Amino acid sequence: MTAQIAERLLYEGSEHAMCTNPLDDYFAMAGHRPPFGSPSTALWRGYVGRWEIVNDRLYLVGLSGTLEDGSEVTQASIFPDFPERAFAHWYTGTVRVPQGRQLKYVHMGYGSTFERDLLLTIERGVVVSTEIQNNGEADESQGQEGYGVGAMLIYPTKGRSRHRAQKDTDEGLL
Amino acid sequence: MNYLYGWLGAGALTLVVVLGAHLMSAERKSESIQDILEAINPERRKLSYRVLNDVVAPALAGILIVIAWPIALFVKVKEWVRPDDKDKRRDQTEKQFSVDSSHLKERLSVQEIERREMVMDPLHAAPALPFGHLHNTWCTLIEGLTRESELWSFSAIWKAGWGANELREGYVLVREGVPGAFLMTVWSTIEK
Repeated sequence: MTAQIAERLLYEGSEHAMCTNPLDDYFAMAGHRPPFGSPSTALWRGYVGRWEIVNDRLYLVGLSGTLEDGSEVTQASIFPDFPERAFAHWYTGTVRVPQGRQLKYVHMGYGSTFERDLLLTIERGVVVSTEIQNNGEADESQGQEGYGVGAMLIYPTKGRSRHRAQKDTDEGLL
Repeated sequence: MNYLYGWLGAGALTLVVVLGAHLMSAERKSESIQDILEAINPERRKLSYRVLNDVVAPALAGILIVIAWPIALFVKVKEWVRPDDKDKRRDQTEKQFSVDSSHLKERLSVQEIERREMVMDPLHAAPALPFGHLHNTWCTLIEGLTRESELWSFSAIWKAGWGANELREGYVLVREGVPGAFLMTVWSTIEK
């Protein structure tokens, strides 16, 4: 098992790592999950979503993924009529946004701990409360700032071009 | 004294049979499962834990089998004769979520549900339809509605496979009192 690449969240003017996958709930509720391929052990879900909170509402504003056959998946593939912004009304739960320096690296899922967690409680896509959870203080010498993945295996994926992989890296998606 | 040697000899033979059967049928622990278990409980990485888990516990089990071999033999023979018991246990642990009659809350009409579940977004980022992006799933559900069936809301606390409690709510088709196909509107982990 490997630490997983986080989703991205635009919140209060800056972009953060988001350790919650609201789109997985959508696929489960809709009863259909596209056959995503895993380009890396750090991305078993096969996609990275970009989210935004606007007026206390959670929106999906971008998606980059690859199917098992190597074809690209974008937000338009999942929400053809809402290719740029989709309101996540299906999502109820807590969105976790790690902040500060890393206290402990766990090479599994979103298991690593950070100095603080911004927790957004969401009901049917609407933010109903926010809370900062303090988890401790890291030494100056200890831990990196911000969410990261320690090591991963990258699999060559059919049809996934070097250009595409570079583009994803440049955009901070991989 | 001869009886004691005979008893322990039979125990040793049972131990060999049980051990052989175990080695032949045991599923290999995958490395990723090992990683998960170690991440959940870092104690597993310690030498003391490994000695306890890999040496002391099997040795004690072996001694127990030699002493109380009729019990071990009975359990093993039962497994061979009725292997489906083991499969049943496994099925129970991997049970999929389904709506039970105890989860039912309120009988509703299609119109009542659609009024409740209308999605409106000021940025027009969802279909202005009942269940929004999940409207097609709703349409598929009510296609199964017949004269004999009813629509009910449900709410369930479900123990997920990984131990957490989840709140699951939505609407379900009930036919002759038996809940069937359903659509979830809430699926969230209940924080401890």
